Amino acid sequence: MAEPAAAPIIEVQDLTRRFGDFVAVDAVSFRVERGEIFGYLGANGAGKSTTIRMLCGLLAPTSGSARVAGFELPDQAVRVKSSIGYMSQRFSLYTDLEVAENLSFFAGAYGLRGARRRQRIDYALEVAGLTDRRRALTRDLPGGIRQRLALASALLHEPTLIFLDEPTAGVDPASRRSFWRLIRQLVREGTTVFVTTHHLDEAEYCGRVGLMVDGHLTALDTPAALKRTHVPGTMLAIGGDLSVPALRSALAGQDGVLDIQPFGRALHVRVRGPLSDPDAMARALERAGITGADITPTEPTLEDVFLTLAAGSTRQNEL
Amino acid sequence: MDGLRRARAMALKEVMHILRDRQVLVFALGMPVLLLLLFGYAVSFDVEHIPLAVIDQDHTPQSRELRAAFVSGDTFVPVVETSDAEAVEPLFRRNVARIALVIPHGYGRALGRGETAEVQLLADGSDNTTASVALGYANALALSVNQRSLATILGTAEPPLSVRVRTLFNPGLESAIFLVPGLMVLILVIIAVMLTALTIAREYERGSMEQLFSTPVGRLSIILGKLGPYFVLGLVQVLLTLTLGVALFGVPVNGSVLLLFAVAAVFLLAMLMQGLLISVVARNQMLASQLALLSTVLPALLLSGFIFPIENMPPLLQGIANVLPPMHFVRALRAILLRGNGIAVIWPDVLALAAFFVVLLTLATRRFRRTLA
Repeated sequence: MAEPAAAPIIEVQDLTRRFGDFVAVDAVSFRVERGEIFGYLGANGAGKSTTIRMLCGLLAPTSGSARVAGFELPDQAVRVKSSIGYMSQRFSLYTDLEVAENLSFFAGAYGLRGARRRQRIDYALEVAGLTDRRRALTRDLPGGIRQRLALASALLHEPTLIFLDEPTAGVDPASRRSFWRLIRQLVREGTTVFVTTHHLDEAEYCGRVGLMVDGHLTALDTPAALKRTHVPGTMLAIGGDLSVPALRSALAGQDGVLDIQPFGRALHVRVRGPLSDPDAMARALERAGITGADITPTEPTLEDVFLTLAAGSTRQNEL
Repeated sequence: MDGLRRARAMALKEVMHILRDRQVLVFALGMPVLLLLLFGYAVSFDVEHIPLAVIDQDHTPQSRELRAAFVSGDTFVPVVETSDAEAVEPLFRRNVARIALVIPHGYGRALGRGETAEVQLLADGSDNTTASVALGYANALALSVNQRSLATILGTAEPPLSVRVRTLFNPGLESAIFLVPGLMVLILVIIAVMLTALTIAREYERGSMEQLFSTPVGRLSIILGKLGPYFVLGLVQVLLTLTLGVALFGVPVNGSVLLLFAVAAVFLLAMLMQGLLISVVARNQMLASQLALLSTVLPALLLSGFIFPIENMPPLLQGIANVLPPMHFVRALRAILLRGNGIAVIWPDVLALAAFFVVLLTLATRRFRRTLA
């Protein structure tokens, strides 16, 4: 049943899931290539977890088709489960068990035996950085380490594809960075990663990003292409030692200013036309009575993309 | 083969959970001991030492003889001796006496003349059990006094009618011997249903059930692995309860121990399924523990024949008792332990237990299969 290596590892066509009248995922279609980091972005309730749960064989689709790691869902769910790893949003590990006990259990659950079992458990301990603390109770580990251990235990059976549902929710920024280093290392070793997140900065690490809004996949492309397509114009960061409200009102009257967003103690201003040039902008602001503005061209972020795309959504809440 | 290996991994994990959580072990092994001691020693359905008020207004040798007959056994303890009939009610009210024997003036004379002598027995009906037992004893006493008097009057050595009662299988009618099988049911239902319901509900509650479903572990392996350790624990409890029952209370083991364990195994399987069904429906530990408690302790206490005879219940309750496992298990246990019966006698009860197991297995696995997909 194995597919040629060139075939996409995930192929989804019109995938739909309803819960009663509520359409959680509405006719979503996409492909994920082997060796990609595929990011899935969206607000809570946009349908990210529902999509992942269908792709892991945990939830039957209402309609549409999905082919994962060479197997049809939901008919070949068991074979899919043997080829993928899944790290759910709610649960990481059994906190009342020791590190080694957790790994030993999941190794058994994936059917590993003998030398391979020992070797994979050692690998997982190394990935989690817990080789010296295998007898520690899992509940005593800090959140970041626990996430690494959870990821390591989902990798025990060497899956070709791994699903991570909000893997860094509630983890401190330093641990998040080291977690992402680990993900990039996995991808270099040939694993495909499908990750949902609502940290937009993390989405920048992804090869391609899909945006879910109200059960629809509204955009799918590389981060750079998404910004080009959905956030036209030039982005200028305007800061310095000046009054932000005054700056805002000065900008509001200028020609070609498309959008103004607060960004830290500065403003991110999207401009089209002559004012795209920082010097021209500085002169325009001086004419409006604002002097000493610090103006630098900057890249739009995925947050800008998300805000643009989600603007029409009724269900949009946090992010 | 793969399924079995995964079930073993599940079972090992469950054993770890149990060993980590001392409370489970203390609960599982401490409760049988506690309940046995409590019911065996503290709770007795044998009524003894009933406080008796004797109101003797006759003061004759005959009246003293009747009094002596009442207080000679352990049943009654004379606490008040008076000749004032008005004293009885206040004594009952103050809970000094439960039973009062009033021997009216002229009792001795009437007996001497061969006339019908009357005595009055007053009982405090607010304690129903004591009252009825006490009245039973009192009647039996009166009967024997009557017989002796009759024999004297008729001049024969033996009274015309003599009923000899011999109780088989529990000659002393001791509560403990009767209670141990009932207690075993109570202990097993609580452990088997409660612990399994909790442990599976916990997997749902903390989201690990979804994690399990994302691995290739089949549902049957999950069930086998989850329930296996509790099955073994249940059998250990049977052994513990039986050993304590024999050692402390002299419960006889007249039948086959092997058969006893086989029946207990069937009963345990039925209870584990009940626990599984509850947890799959409840999906959280709070609700699961309440459902488990309601669905186990009530039938085990009320509808098992453990304390209250099923035969005296209204037809509806009898019907329910007949469907649920506790009554059948108590009946089978008593049959094996006390009467030494074999499978030839107890098979209807075993069949009823097995039927309950199959029905619950079907319900639980169907429900379990639909939980996620």
